[in-house]
Amino acid sequence: MTIILETRSLSYSYGDGTKALKDVSISLEAGKKVALVGPNGAGKSTLMLMFNGILRPREGEVLFRGRSMSYDAASLRSIRRAVGMVFQNSDDQLFAPTVYQDVAFGPTNLGYAAEKVKRYAGFALQYVGLLGYERRPPHHLSGGEKKRVAIAGILAMEPEVIILDEPTSNLDPASSEEIMEMLDELNLGGKTLIISTHDVDLAYRWADEVILMKDGGVVRRGTGQEVFGDAELIRDARLKLPLVVDLYQELAGRSIVRGAKPPRNILELCDLLQPKAETRAGVWGKIYICNVDEIDGEEIRAMLDKIPVDFKGAMGTSAKVMAEKCGISIDFTYGVIDKCILKALIGKSSIIMTSGGMVEHTLQRIKDYGLESGTKIEAIGLLQ
Amino acid sequence: MHNLLDDYAISNALRETSARLKLFLGLWAILLSVSSTTPIAPLFLAITMSLITVMLAKIPGRIYSRLLLVPLSFALLSAGVVAFMHGSGQTLFSLQLFGLNLAIREEGANLAVLLIARTFGGMCSLYFIALTTPMIEIFAVLKTLHIPQSVIELSMMIYRYIFVFLDQAAMIHSAQMMRLGDAGTKNSLNSFAMLCSVLFLRSWEQGERLIVAMDSRCYDGKLDLMEPAKGAKPLAILAVAAYLAAATAIAVLTRGVILL
Repeated sequence: MTIILETRSLSYSYGDGTKALKDVSISLEAGKKVALVGPNGAGKSTLMLMFNGILRPREGEVLFRGRSMSYDAASLRSIRRAVGMVFQNSDDQLFAPTVYQDVAFGPTNLGYAAEKVKRYAGFALQYVGLLGYERRPPHHLSGGEKKRVAIAGILAMEPEVIILDEPTSNLDPASSEEIMEMLDELNLGGKTLIISTHDVDLAYRWADEVILMKDGGVVRRGTGQEVFGDAELIRDARLKLPLVVDLYQELAGRSIVRGAKPPRNILELCDLLQPKAETRAGVWGKIYICNVDEIDGEEIRAMLDKIPVDFKGAMGTSAKVMAEKCGISIDFTYGVIDKCILKALIGKSSIIMTSGGMVEHTLQRIKDYGLESGTKIEAIGLLQ
Repeated sequence: MHNLLDDYAISNALRETSARLKLFLGLWAILLSVSSTTPIAPLFLAITMSLITVMLAKIPGRIYSRLLLVPLSFALLSAGVVAFMHGSGQTLFSLQLFGLNLAIREEGANLAVLLIARTFGGMCSLYFIALTTPMIEIFAVLKTLHIPQSVIELSMMIYRYIFVFLDQAAMIHSAQMMRLGDAGTKNSLNSFAMLCSVLFLRSWEQGERLIVAMDSRCYDGKLDLMEPAKGAKPLAILAVAAYLAAATAIAVLTRGVILL
């Protein structure tokens, strides 16, 4: 366990005397997904701006990898490179006249050679699935695309930590799920992610750790189940219970379900509601996993003709780009693994198209589910 | 949302042609139009430039003709004034108005026709540039022309934020209309003044956010990444050269011609 960011009795007040942060001491582990939740004016944004040195604390200190942050130009450059920040409003962040220029802004200012800048920017754009958009001006992009460009601009600087202020505000549900899935992909690649959000459902199911803030201080931190399990605390913080937790508490009150902890997602809730004995063993569907890195569009289509699947899911940008390129209609573009397991439990088979390290992750996730629930669903990796 | 010239510049059929060549063609045509002493060359340019814009660049004819209505009104108004005010030579037309004798003479008529022709020659050439060449490519050309870096960077950001503020202005305007901000002249003026002041404050705030955004990506005084301006194809260069030579020849050969 490595602590990547730490604050020690951090306090900050704005020019007009409002105390935005009061004695905040937290430490964040590397490689985690952290969600800051809390009402408006709780100090989430202020705290985030401290993490990459935009704001300087009045009292206390911020530590990155165990070293206290200093605020001279050179240290700030290295901290801002390591801790990237994606703003809530993409128009605040995208100031260059073309997508490419914006993504290349960071690497250019880091002093990379032109060829290296091009490589980094190209890689970042490919990662967010926007290759071919280089020459477009930002005002010709949709909200979701703008957010992707903003993330690409940060990725091009190869940060260790990415901070996102309300990443899903102003996006349609599908776009926001896709952005969140992309964040999962980044997290699997080893990046530490910190988001702030008002969307309690999102924070609950996405985050490894939830930090609840109120009036400039940290009220509670822990897993989503720990923080959102306390209904009174959540009400005091002007938030609401995630739908799954609310439903679980009502069902538990009627003795319909029993369990020590509320379920994390729909899959766990379904398992709680339908005891294993009732599911008909042996008629579960299968999940096929196909690595789009090792296979081309023609082969995927040929494979789809051969294997009987009821649902198709695509996970990660390159799989989605591939599916779109060869005209395969996709049923699930987010929450893919859970959806496929849910379908397998009612006897439907599905295929998950994905790439790189996520193949292993998918197999592991299905295996873990089997171990946890006792329902072993067959996951078949499709190889050449 | 907005149907701006910029949208056509991004998507027209001549998008991939070298920006430098398009700029050269347009600027030469403008200079030729406004320096011509007879209406023939400007009219030739107006017609051919319109054809190039509509047929080659595939800008919808309806949009293009609507755009031309803007200079048309100005040109007709000023040509009317010029026609009556100037003149020697034979009287072509006269009328009595409240005891005043208003007459169009040969010189005035010639001048008015020349004015209209120049206006249209110039405007059609300018529209050609505006509708076929995106600003971003013009910036790239400016860079190769050694315009100071800071001027270009500033213009790039101004260009980018024009669209942000345009959206904001449109939103503020709708918010005012929804609450009847346009009821009566006094209200309209008041609303407009408020729109301006709010927009000013917002641009100020936006500027501050811009600095934070740039700082958090290690801003070090560099925004110098430009896509390299594409070279022109030999065939395109030949075609443009032939066309401009023809237009210049027409202008030179017809310089002594007097229409009336």
